Amino acid sequence: MTRSRALSHHAQNVLAVLLDAGGRWSHGYELARLADVKSGTLYPLLIRLEAQGYLEAEWQQPPEGGRPPRHAYRLTASGKQLARANPPGQTARLGVQRSEVTI
Amino acid sequence: MKGALRRGLADLACRALQATLPPSLESWGCAVRREAAEIPDDTQAFMFAFDILCGLMPRAVTWHLLHPVVSLIGAVTLGLAYMTMAGAPVRYLAINIGALAIGLMILALLGRTRFAGRQWTGRAIVAIAGALLATALLGNDVDGATRWVSLGGLSVQPSLILLPVMLVAFARCRDRLATVGMIAAAAALAIQPDRAMAGMLAAGLSVLAIMRPDPHVLTSLGASIAGLGVAMARADTLPAAPYVDQILYSSFDVHVAAGAAVLGGSALLLVPAIVGWCRDSANRSLYAAFGAVWLSGIIAAALGNYPTPLVGYGGSAIIGYALSLLALPNWAGEHAEAGPRSYGKADTPSLDRHLLVSLA
Repeated sequence: MTRSRALSHHAQNVLAVLLDAGGRWSHGYELARLADVKSGTLYPLLIRLEAQGYLEAEWQQPPEGGRPPRHAYRLTASGKQLARANPPGQTARLGVQRSEVTI
Repeated sequence: MKGALRRGLADLACRALQATLPPSLESWGCAVRREAAEIPDDTQAFMFAFDILCGLMPRAVTWHLLHPVVSLIGAVTLGLAYMTMAGAPVRYLAINIGALAIGLMILALLGRTRFAGRQWTGRAIVAIAGALLATALLGNDVDGATRWVSLGGLSVQPSLILLPVMLVAFARCRDRLATVGMIAAAAALAIQPDRAMAGMLAAGLSVLAIMRPDPHVLTSLGASIAGLGVAMARADTLPAAPYVDQILYSSFDVHVAAGAAVLGGSALLLVPAIVGWCRDSANRSLYAAFGAVWLSGIIAAALGNYPTPLVGYGGSAIIGYALSLLALPNWAGEHAEAGPRSYGKADTPSLDRHLLVSLA
């Protein structure tokens, strides 16, 4: 069951990093570093975003041969809309109620 | 801490998480492990893995605790605790343990079987109704009630084994044949007579009629209410059996812990219905029917001399509960938690892993 909940600033940061990446695929460790969130916060968030259709996840073979595939992520069209509607720091800067989304 | 040790611990944390995550999130566990392996710095890899372990492990453990099988095992275990405190014969405990083993075996063997479909469901329901009628007509008579049959020296109550799964199956799939089966079952319970089981049938169908009021449900509900009326009108003089009937009250006379075990075990029976209702909105009518069935069983045990499901002595309810779990959608694995859609097992979820083939 989904419920309406305001986006956390961690979620806003992650969405912003993914939005900045454009159509490029990102990896978990890179996302955690760029968004400045702990991996224990990042992965539950990625799971929710993916389950709700905001995120695409794909196994990709690294360019160097012999290495196992790696999970990569990018925003879907609805994910991009969500990211644009919730830029980082919006709450702190504006001091208004954040937009309600179902994640 | 040496680099190799940190790297090894990171891998161990990821493996532990991967092993604990539910099937639908299994590929996320794999993703985390691969990602940690790609981090060049051992300390960073260790911190990355450890953080994820802290972030996702509670979710994984909660999933396991809310799994329907945990309710089954938990309720039976609490019942065993009560019976031990109450000084029940060892044979009683052994029978409940044996029934639990049978129930778990059924779940293990048939839990991955796909739902049999409308045609087979109708046939299975008619077969169950036939078994209930046969029990009413040919079963063992005890003080005017014919609810039991002898199997291998044990007295088994077929209605307690078959009626819950029959009701949940009917909630999933209804047609004319299934409706005929439900009417026959209502007649069988009136003939036996069994107020508790007739009440269970009426309660399950009442909930279904509220949520899915189609002609099949309404016709079956009418028959079940008539059957309940007949069962209520007929005499029921069976005395309370020790460790079976009236234990919701008498267990507190044994010890407060024994009473808590009986109440806690009874509450556990409803957990799959509550969790399924919350997590799988597409199948709420099934979970409501499941909850109504077992809640009515508990209420009947509180009101009269009827078996207290799972927590009291008696293997029929234990096997019946396991069978009724099989008729539920596999919400825990597929509906509630979506895994990465682009990989491995999560790629091909079977949304309807249930059984029914074994019922006829």
